[in-house]
Amino acid sequence: FTLLACCLLYSAAFQAQDLPIGNGQKYTIGKIEVTGTVSYNEQTVIAYTGLKTGEEVFIPGDRISKVLKKLWDLGLFSDINFYITNIDGNVADLELEIQEVPQLAEIRIQGIKKKSAQEELIKENNLTPGTKVTENLITTTKNYIQNKYRKDGYFNTKVAINTTAVVDTANTNKVNMVVNIDRGEKVKIEEIDFVGNEQFSDSKLKKAMSSTKEKNFFRFWKRSKYIAAEYDEDKVKLIDKYKEKGFRDARIISDTLIKKENNEIALRINVEEGRKHYIGNIDFIGNTVYSDEQLKRVVGINKGAVYNGVLLEKRIADASDPDAQDLSNLYKNNGYLFAQVNTVETKVYNDTIDFEIRIIEGKEAYFNTISVVGNDKTKDHVIYRELRTKPGQKYSQTNVIRTIRELGQLGFFDAEQISPNFKNVNPDAGTLDMEYSVAEAGASQIELQGGYGGGGFIGTLGLSFNNFSLAGIFDKDAYKPLPMGDGQKLSLRAQASTYYQTYSLSFVEPWLGGVKPVSLSTSFSYTRQFLYDYQSRRPDKSKSFDILGVNVGLAKRLNWPDDFFTLSQAVGFQRYDLNNYTTGLFTFGNGFSNNLTYTIGLSRNSLRINPIFPTGGSEFNVIAKFTPPYSLWNGVDYNDLENQNEFQLKDDSGNLINRDGTRLRTGDEPVGDQSKIDQEKFKWLEFYKVKFDASWYNTLFNFGPKSPLVLKTHMEYGFLGAYNSDRGIPPFERFYVGGDGLGSYSLDGRESIALRGYPNQSIVPLDRSGLSQASNEDGAVIYNKYSLELRYPITLKPMASIYALTFLEAGASYDNFRDFNPFQLNRSAGAGIRIYMPQFGLLGIDFGYGFDPVPGQSTPNGWETHFIIGQQF
Amino acid sequence: CGEYQKVLKSEEPGVKYTMAEKLYNQAKEENSKAKFRKALRLLEQIVPQYRGKPQGEKLAFLYADSYFELKDSYNAGYQFERFTQSYPNSDKVEEAAFKSAKSYYFLSPRYDLDQTETVKAIDELQKYIDAYPNGEYLEEANVLAADLRVKLEKKAYEIAKQYHHTTNYKSAIVAFNNFITEYPGSPFREAAFYYRFDSAYKLAINSYQYLMKERLETAKGFYNNYQKYYPEGSVYYNQLQTDFQDLDTRLQNF
Repeated sequence: FTLLACCLLYSAAFQAQDLPIGNGQKYTIGKIEVTGTVSYNEQTVIAYTGLKTGEEVFIPGDRISKVLKKLWDLGLFSDINFYITNIDGNVADLELEIQEVPQLAEIRIQGIKKKSAQEELIKENNLTPGTKVTENLITTTKNYIQNKYRKDGYFNTKVAINTTAVVDTANTNKVNMVVNIDRGEKVKIEEIDFVGNEQFSDSKLKKAMSSTKEKNFFRFWKRSKYIAAEYDEDKVKLIDKYKEKGFRDARIISDTLIKKENNEIALRINVEEGRKHYIGNIDFIGNTVYSDEQLKRVVGINKGAVYNGVLLEKRIADASDPDAQDLSNLYKNNGYLFAQVNTVETKVYNDTIDFEIRIIEGKEAYFNTISVVGNDKTKDHVIYRELRTKPGQKYSQTNVIRTIRELGQLGFFDAEQISPNFKNVNPDAGTLDMEYSVAEAGASQIELQGGYGGGGFIGTLGLSFNNFSLAGIFDKDAYKPLPMGDGQKLSLRAQASTYYQTYSLSFVEPWLGGVKPVSLSTSFSYTRQFLYDYQSRRPDKSKSFDILGVNVGLAKRLNWPDDFFTLSQAVGFQRYDLNNYTTGLFTFGNGFSNNLTYTIGLSRNSLRINPIFPTGGSEFNVIAKFTPPYSLWNGVDYNDLENQNEFQLKDDSGNLINRDGTRLRTGDEPVGDQSKIDQEKFKWLEFYKVKFDASWYNTLFNFGPKSPLVLKTHMEYGFLGAYNSDRGIPPFERFYVGGDGLGSYSLDGRESIALRGYPNQSIVPLDRSGLSQASNEDGAVIYNKYSLELRYPITLKPMASIYALTFLEAGASYDNFRDFNPFQLNRSAGAGIRIYMPQFGLLGIDFGYGFDPVPGQSTPNGWETHFIIGQQF
Repeated sequence: CGEYQKVLKSEEPGVKYTMAEKLYNQAKEENSKAKFRKALRLLEQIVPQYRGKPQGEKLAFLYADSYFELKDSYNAGYQFERFTQSYPNSDKVEEAAFKSAKSYYFLSPRYDLDQTETVKAIDELQKYIDAYPNGEYLEEANVLAADLRVKLEKKAYEIAKQYHHTTNYKSAIVAFNNFITEYPGSPFREAAFYYRFDSAYKLAINSYQYLMKERLETAKGFYNNYQKYYPEGSVYYNQLQTDFQDLDTRLQNF
């Protein structure tokens, strides 16, 4: 006699003892035999089950069930049975019969010629040799292939799958598979025919169907395939079209698909339009928080208007836009998360419909617990201080959306993966918990370069840690591989070649003290360079130029006028030391210059969600930089310097001389020594500087949920001035317009302003053209620039964000306000691409065409190629 | 070493098995990481081949334990868990269950990061405690679990305290209220009582006049609560009394 043990699923982690099932009896296991196996060793199977001769088990019992489940879980068998073959007292002999699933040996696909398409099918269905060929595999493969080709318009695709056993000596239980595919011809729509339409013409209705189109000779680039799923969607769109124009009752009575010759079909759609309806009275019921008047304003549809079902639905609750200004969001943004809004047609008379909008306001919802998950590196305090939703606050959808935006902008997390999860939503108590789920993104960048240029080897090492932890540097457990997670930014950079070295270090703590977002930034830099000796072709170590810079700044987020504003202040000091360093840059070869400045800036940033690719919002900056007005109190008459003995040309023994080096004769005017005068002027630099820039981002069109077309509008101005016209504007801190705008290693605090389509720093003021080359090397004191840029994302994955852009730009620089002309610009246009990888920062290439000549030239500048590293236009 | 290389390249699983076992035992005796590493390389090669064979059980344990000794907690936890599922009748199953849970304990990160692993570790330790109420490692398991619970308490406490620190006093009161109800036996409980009072007090004295009285009374309620549970007081006692004096005077002026 045999007994079929039933299979019961039961799981317990560490339990080993057996339990009887039903009236199971206890037996001691005698012999165990495995039958039906083909390729597995009998001992292996028995060892795997864990059953041993002499062991006591219940039959039927939990132990046997678990063994069965374990075997099924392997997925290697198509049938598993336990039999009792013999009972002797309480000793039972067992037989385990297993039927193996055959393995796939070879696969052949017929009916598709292309090798790559065949391989794709094999890959998509996992039909690799060794796969277990189950009934399920055959059916799903068949369905998959059929659907795949139907989607491409092969409406009559037929698929047949045959398997044949492989006969070989080893008896391995393998099968070969042949997949026969008959795609037939592509089915095209020859004509779409409407019956019963009076209000709309056939062509209007055809237009409403966005994916299902007739074949048309003049529209050969558009498809006219028949795809059933899209046709169904288009039928809904057709009815929506009617609903928008007041035909509330419009419906499709029937639609017919007629097969024609040449694999073409015709669609006949029979519509019933019904009559046009108008809106009657709209009454609000249940509203206590907002008056009828306020609600009417939100709905914005008045009595007598044509009934528009689609619009009405959008004004009540717009499913397509969670951020919409609709009635249910009016409640949700003000704490009424549980509000329910239902629209009911209360009366239909003639062609007019009365509505009642029934509102159940519910309790106001308050946040209870706010939590964050997924932060494997970034510490809690760094995240919680950025959250706009806090325990005990009234629920607000706007604040949730803003929190997500701001978390994304931190740059520590993948902006596309931040999501708010509602937990423990309790309408009775009026509370809810909010959990923000984040995913860490790489926030460190390394730059390591070596190259040959400018007469020698140049090596660069740059490290930038955007989520650094200064507190962790003494904690050896924090090195994984570096202390991270306090949201601080540390950058180190060293660049060295035979004729110059530059080192810089900067540190930013965004929340000094952790109470308010007051960011502290400090930086230190040191540069030393040697003059090139043309004779020895080596740097001349006796001629050097050192720059030392220190900067400390504080920036504070303001609450007024709104909390997108940031006020920043900084004190900076630079010291320039020249040692026998004579170039065109300064009139003196030995000397020094100090630059002590105070900078104050006001900025507003409301860029939306992804800092790499903003899709909305704007950014403004106003910055003013001052030095102390020394000339107010130091009593030096800068206009008179050349008349003072101290600043006049002298020879080594202190006698006044002429410019040609000869001694002054009596009656000659003494000559001023320009280098001494300049040294006096530049001992402490004196100037002020004002800059303004603004950018707007607008999504023009959404091609998909993550593919918006974005327009960036940008403008910027800069002005450098002197307090004392006798002392003049120093040659430091000036503006150089043109090119990629990358800070070429700057000696004199210069600012490179990007203007694509022109060589670097080539757009000098127009009034200078025709003068000597030397004057072209001086920067300008006024500049302006405008640009329009269209951006389209290719991918916004965390590993790499890539977008393409086209731009129109124009800019110019001036020597004084008399020459300032905001319309006399150097214009350009072009296109480019940007790649952002978290490890490398932003990289890009732009091709720009300059329409205007570079000052001093007469023909348009033409094409320029710009490489962009780490900076955004 | 030459012999080891030879065995490593050999095709015979039997030789590798013997050597791996020998290395493992030596490593255990000498507490040598290098030998565990060597054993592990051999085990990696042969564990799949012996799966389902009589020696498989022992190998699977050695494999998991080598990871455990090498502090590769991620793999150790997984391999031990697999062992307990594959060989529920093994003599070693209790040890494996505990070591699996302990591996998850090691994976638990510092309190101010995501605590998914901590919750999982507490879960695993609790499973062990439930399954082996007289187990060999029961005491250690309880210590580890308590340690992790304190970690979760510290997290909740620090988050609430940050609301206090950033002067979001209303949120701090809600968060401390939740903390006090949720973690009755926490070492941070007294501090939570103090900061709840302090948040309410600071909120009250920075309020508009018409709100102040009610808020001062709330703060007074929190003060009384603190006094009731911690009549002795500790670190916060002096500050608490000073603030309360001020609060009381203000209240009397209404």
